[in-house]
Amino acid sequence: MLIGAAVFAATIHLWASSREEGRVLSPLPMAAAGVREEAGLGKMLFFDTRLSGDATLSCTSCHIPQKAFADGQALSAGYPSTLYFRNTPSLLNSAFKKRVYWDGRLPGNDLPTVVRDHLSEAHFMQADGRLLVERLRQVPEYEEAFRKAYGGEPSYGKILNALSAYVKSLVSPEAPLDKFLAGDRSALSAGAERGMELFKGKAGCIQCHSGPMLTDEGFHNLGAPENLEVFEEPLRHITFRRFFKTLGVENTHLLRKDMGLYAVTKEPGDQGKFKTPSLREAARTAPYMHNGVLNTLEEVIEFYNKGGGPEAGENRPLKPLGLSEQEKKDLVEFLKALSGKEMGVEAPSLPEYKVRELGKN
Amino acid sequence: MERGRPKTAWREIAALVLVLFVFSLTGVALETLKNKFPKIGPLPPVSIPKDNPMSPEKTELGKMLFFDTRFSGDGSISCSTCHEPAMGWGDGNDLSRGYPGTQHWRNSQTVLNAAYYDKLFWAGEVTSLESQANAAITGNLAGNGDPMMIEERLRQAPDYVRIFKKVFGREPLYSDALKAIAAFERTVPISRNVPFDKYIKGNKKSLSAKAVKGMEIFQNKANCIQCHNGPLFSDQDYHNLDLPENPVFKEDPLRQIALRFQHSSRGVDEKIYRKADRDLGLYYTTKREQDKGKFRTPSLRELKYTAPYMHNGLFVTLEEVVDFYDKGGGHEENPNKSPLLKPLGLTPDEKEALISFLESLSGDEIKMDPPALPDYAKIIPEGDKP
Repeated sequence: MLIGAAVFAATIHLWASSREEGRVLSPLPMAAAGVREEAGLGKMLFFDTRLSGDATLSCTSCHIPQKAFADGQALSAGYPSTLYFRNTPSLLNSAFKKRVYWDGRLPGNDLPTVVRDHLSEAHFMQADGRLLVERLRQVPEYEEAFRKAYGGEPSYGKILNALSAYVKSLVSPEAPLDKFLAGDRSALSAGAERGMELFKGKAGCIQCHSGPMLTDEGFHNLGAPENLEVFEEPLRHITFRRFFKTLGVENTHLLRKDMGLYAVTKEPGDQGKFKTPSLREAARTAPYMHNGVLNTLEEVIEFYNKGGGPEAGENRPLKPLGLSEQEKKDLVEFLKALSGKEMGVEAPSLPEYKVRELGKN
Repeated sequence: MERGRPKTAWREIAALVLVLFVFSLTGVALETLKNKFPKIGPLPPVSIPKDNPMSPEKTELGKMLFFDTRFSGDGSISCSTCHEPAMGWGDGNDLSRGYPGTQHWRNSQTVLNAAYYDKLFWAGEVTSLESQANAAITGNLAGNGDPMMIEERLRQAPDYVRIFKKVFGREPLYSDALKAIAAFERTVPISRNVPFDKYIKGNKKSLSAKAVKGMEIFQNKANCIQCHNGPLFSDQDYHNLDLPENPVFKEDPLRQIALRFQHSSRGVDEKIYRKADRDLGLYYTTKREQDKGKFRTPSLRELKYTAPYMHNGLFVTLEEVVDFYDKGGGHEENPNKSPLLKPLGLTPDEKEALISFLESLSGDEIKMDPPALPDYAKIIPEGDKP
């Protein structure tokens, strides 16, 4: 309670103190309080491969708890025999996202729809909702868990809700920055504290990475280089073309760059724009950028120091920063202070299919 | 001009009626019965739909696609996985294996002579080979494929692009792929060199005396011809034989899932879903009470290669099939059971003869090695690097 009040006060204080810039750093909001049964059921489902079409993938296949619910790959794997063309983002703090996916194609306030997209899309889990219901109805423990959480048997809607409840409960652990903002001046090293000042000042990171999640929830074109594997690996290029085709982008066979937000809005100015990611747990979610082209935080800082990539649009938000080597180090140290203790997520034991009495469904 | 009937003719008419009655008692009725049904005989040429004309190149393309696992969602199975030439173009199981992570709830039907059906699948759900291919490719328990993904996969293989352009005059389209597969099925897996066909065409040596006797029993005493008639040996109509359900549905969780999924995905009333314990056949399509448990009569050609038999693969041998019909079909209380089924009272010799005839409906085994399939390639033109 006291901590909560202190956090709140610190937030207000910081908000007020840097109001003139309109961009602040602020600590973690309180964890979304999910109903325990619902989130518990959602956690089982999250780990269960029976939620994918051919029963080989679970949510954890790409959102690995030990990797801050990302997958540590430059580009996401996707459904067997497909390969995806963007980086798997961390699921942490999904409860606070305004838009979901790198191109923001789904709204963050409707996580069940986001979950549905993952379960059903041909490049993700390619499962039919009705089939999932029958699979879960074949597991007595699931039937019981659905009854406890929702007072009824499994349905596709309840599956989506339970998974959403679990995903909503995934809030990143308290980071040194949060302790610092709550008044513990020793929580940041001297280097990290210098890095924070650069972050807010000379480096200008805070222009886009602000607020409790260190993101403006906006879309920007940084001119990040294309990840050539998207075009050179046939399976990725197939998925890439199909994806843009399903969103109504024309001449997908000629595309040689990821269109980003444009695929959603069809505004020419939105080409190559991607959603600003949260920086929380950044040290655990390498590689970086929408296509994983940057491997380390050092590479990321270097990218920004040069004023972004050469392919940014006319309204490029980035300018060369002129950071010294020490300043770059300090920034990296600050970014590392955005990670908390490793989250111990224990894999649940999953109940098996059981034979049902035929004709009693 | 009106002609009045002479009043004195009634005696002649009565005499004629009497004579006809006597004849009918003395065996002419058997001839009449035989003629009531479309004649069995050799298959005519396959009829080709106007919107999918044949060409050797199209057939060759269809063959490649038939064997290509890129049509399934996870790229692990092709048409030929469940319709394997070496297994009589079925899969040799009582119930089909289905897509990974699932187990199908019906027997995988042979593709042999499928080109002659005007309704396909066990309950006649579709009416062309093209739409059958689509349903099998996209069905969640079958191919679980995504048409747009498949189309892009085909376009990633330059050899496919070249062949599609040659055959269809355009880049690979999913709908053209279905046409090519259907063209292949109209050409290759068709009965060849069938003893029965040769016999009908005049080579009396091609059937044994036993088989000839069996043919007689088939058309008369056993009355198989009521439903298994015409060159295909199928009336393409729906019948309920009161066939017992495959016991695997009592034992196998994945089969139970498949059976319930079929109920829920075909939109049956909840009350029926709650009691789902058997395949309802034609009912899923019509929702008419009297169609519960009706299935489309399958062809009897190429039986030698296509065991197990029936929509649920319940019978492994032709002996079991014949015994089932000899007993008049199933014996559960079943208002939908076909009135055509009656105990036949066949002797062991007659059964043997019947089976000998059934075996004569199978021709040469149609074997096929998987063709070489085009590889994916990078499709970035030189000098067009991102």
